[in-house]
Amino acid sequence: MSAVTAEKNNSLWSDARHRLMRNRAALISLIVLTVIIFCCLVLPLLGFLHDPNAQALPDKNLAPSGAHWFGTDNLGRDIFARVVYGGRISIAVGLITTLVSVTIGVCYGAISGYVSGRTDAIMMRIVDILYALPFLIIVILLGKTIEPATAKLTDTVVGWFTSADASVESINATRAWIEPITTLVPLFVAIGALSWLTVSRIVRAQVQGVAKQEFVEAARSLGLGNFRILFRHILPNTLGPIIVYTTLTIPSVMLFEATLSFLGMGVKPPYASWGNLINEGANLMLSNIWLLFFPTLLFSATLFALNFLGDGLRDALDPRSAKD
Amino acid sequence: MQARHPYKASQNFSTGKNSTAILAPSHKNPAVMLRRLIILLLPALGFLVSCQKETQVERANREGIFLTGNSAEPKSLDLQQVTGVPEGKIITSLFEGLVADDPENDDGTPPGAATSWEHNDDLTEWTFHLQPEGRWSDGVPVTADDFVFAYNRLLHPDFAGPYAEMLYFLKNAEEFNKGKITDFSQVGVKAIDDHTLFVKLREPVPFLPSLTRHYTWFPVPKHVILKFGKMQDRFTDWSVLPNMVGNGPFKLKTWRFHDVIEVERNTYYWDAKNVGLNGIRFFPIENPFTETRAFLSGQLHNIYTLPSDLIPAAKKEYPQYLHQEPYVGTVFVRLNTTRKGLDNEKVRNALSLALDRESICKYIMEGYTPTTSFVPKMGAYEPEPVLSFNPEKARALLAEAGYPDGKGFPRFSVLISKPDAKASIEAMQAMWRKHLNILVDIQIKDWGSFVTAQQNLDFDIAVGGWIGDYLDPTTFLNLWTKGNGNNNTGWSDPAYEALLSEAALTADAAKRLEILKRAELMVMKAQPIIPVSWYSRNYLLRPEVKGWHPLLLDNHPWKSIRLEK
Repeated sequence: MSAVTAEKNNSLWSDARHRLMRNRAALISLIVLTVIIFCCLVLPLLGFLHDPNAQALPDKNLAPSGAHWFGTDNLGRDIFARVVYGGRISIAVGLITTLVSVTIGVCYGAISGYVSGRTDAIMMRIVDILYALPFLIIVILLGKTIEPATAKLTDTVVGWFTSADASVESINATRAWIEPITTLVPLFVAIGALSWLTVSRIVRAQVQGVAKQEFVEAARSLGLGNFRILFRHILPNTLGPIIVYTTLTIPSVMLFEATLSFLGMGVKPPYASWGNLINEGANLMLSNIWLLFFPTLLFSATLFALNFLGDGLRDALDPRSAKD
Repeated sequence: MQARHPYKASQNFSTGKNSTAILAPSHKNPAVMLRRLIILLLPALGFLVSCQKETQVERANREGIFLTGNSAEPKSLDLQQVTGVPEGKIITSLFEGLVADDPENDDGTPPGAATSWEHNDDLTEWTFHLQPEGRWSDGVPVTADDFVFAYNRLLHPDFAGPYAEMLYFLKNAEEFNKGKITDFSQVGVKAIDDHTLFVKLREPVPFLPSLTRHYTWFPVPKHVILKFGKMQDRFTDWSVLPNMVGNGPFKLKTWRFHDVIEVERNTYYWDAKNVGLNGIRFFPIENPFTETRAFLSGQLHNIYTLPSDLIPAAKKEYPQYLHQEPYVGTVFVRLNTTRKGLDNEKVRNALSLALDRESICKYIMEGYTPTTSFVPKMGAYEPEPVLSFNPEKARALLAEAGYPDGKGFPRFSVLISKPDAKASIEAMQAMWRKHLNILVDIQIKDWGSFVTAQQNLDFDIAVGGWIGDYLDPTTFLNLWTKGNGNNNTGWSDPAYEALLSEAALTADAAKRLEILKRAELMVMKAQPIIPVSWYSRNYLLRPEVKGWHPLLLDNHPWKSIRLEK
């Protein structure tokens, strides 16, 4: 029996929550993350933000003030609005890609590790082959391939939000907030579907170790099915590494989005994401430091919070961790 | 020549340095994060160290070596295979034309490979007398035959020189280049003896001496080229180390790809005693923002382009480095007139009328002048001011063209190749959306695929820039003739070309300019290109650099530059 269930009859989750609550860094991180995500998702709906793409050239490079909380950029656009809208894209992309890649990776790795033998060997050789493919090139090809489909998707979604007799101007305005999401999300779902290799390796190794333990034998002797044994008894014991991996993947996907933006595959100007806001800010830091400061601040805060939270979750969820 | 500023390829360091870490998000671990943090902090660390140590510039001052930001890795150093400004900067240190550049005066014609020249009364026949002491950097004498060989090579149809049009001033050169005649002896250039070159022109060209300062008119070392292949072979090994031989004040010393090109004194140069530098290092830093940072941290003596966004800050904090001068060049937007939508003259004019060039120049392209036509004012030539900002008229034209209120207008992409062009294009993107309800995308490509896409007409709209090669409007107007390697709009008009030929045959200077003005009006009416602004040069130069004077064409002769210790 695992240590957790042996000592107290608490469930894995309540025990983990208990331990997480006592980890101050993780708790603060959780709060910071919640606030950032909440702001990015909800603030644009309240309607008091400036239009993130509206330019006011005479008001360029303003310092932070009551009208522009984070100042304005080199085209007179409100940096606060751009950071919020950019965060929407970065966070959406980070979460979705990670979700897809971890889901596939966990299932694949768990099955591979559990069945072992020849099937396992074949599955892992497939992973080897996929590892050998040049990732960036595949992503670029993929992006080009799905471009017509995402364009159609954009038109459809824009159609839902506009009436048939709407003016071109109002359609364009609706399009401006839908388009960056509908063009990016499919691409990053596809990227997630390509980047589950490492997580599958990790999970496989964990499952192999856990599967040999007595409680699995016990479960099997009770006549439980393979599916139940794998997903109810083995996988919870591998959660630690999976969660650490997940929290590290989210910021790296956000960075990857910035790379793709630079290659013309990610967010296209004038739309913003944290990645391309930081890129632009770095270029212009001599003339406008706020353009670098605020996006970097938010990005780093998210990155640190995710790391601390991941760390805390790993400690909290590790069934073998010392009880105090 | 093809302007690299401000619209040029850039491989930002964020792709270069981080790419391996970013390639596969699945490889992420804390160590990589930490490494990235360290990479980010390194410049700051480097700055701290540099405060105590002698900077690269200070050491170079001692050694008499000029460090220049050259903004791109040259495509090649074969001077007959390139069209860009960065290549030109290196080539003018390695080679010299018949006439040299004057350090203080754009119209000055000091002797170069030729000591003197004379012409007949109607300016169509010229004789150049070469330096008796002129030698290649391997000691072989420079002869008139090297010039004839060079022009033969550049004009040869098999060689497909991308800048051959520059030699069309020679009689029959165009015919030879287009394969209409195959006998090169009919082309108007002849070696009378080893040191006398005779040139017969298609038309009177009063500015021929200043034209021969351009690298398309330079000689090439016949004896070296023939060692590595036939005359018309492209991309042979003659122009790389250790084979490269030139007749300029410097010779090639090192060439590390995407790192540095270094040249050193050429002892065989006829005027070697008047060369002020011991060497030059050309650094191909592609991102102008990075280049600016390199300059400010004491790694470079000059950069040719200060991004407009940084001018106000530079004015305030680095006035001792900042230079702002006029420049003969135009920033414009190329339209692919073979695309549906853009094939309509009304659409093209509507796009042009919707641009508020005043605002763009005032707030973004600092120091640039809003265009009222295409060719910048030069000498006696001043084009009719025809471009204006008129959103109502733009909307009316767009409606006439079948897109009332922007309805149904195709979604086009604007191609750019350099991050400092992004701001002005984003402004134009916003203006088209605001005034015409037209949405366009912005697409960034690296310099190579940016140029290729345009040459293959595989683009919708692309940003362009053109810098005059000599002080005459034809350096701009010849671009839009059919088959010109830099036209890339799909537009041409026989009537336009007829006007240009008519101007070429007109001896009376004033009348000639009138005809050219009419030709320019034709381009402005058809608008295959939308001029945006006239260049001004904003660059950074260290004060210890002497012999560097304001020049319209920006051709600072390397041999006159000195470093004060």
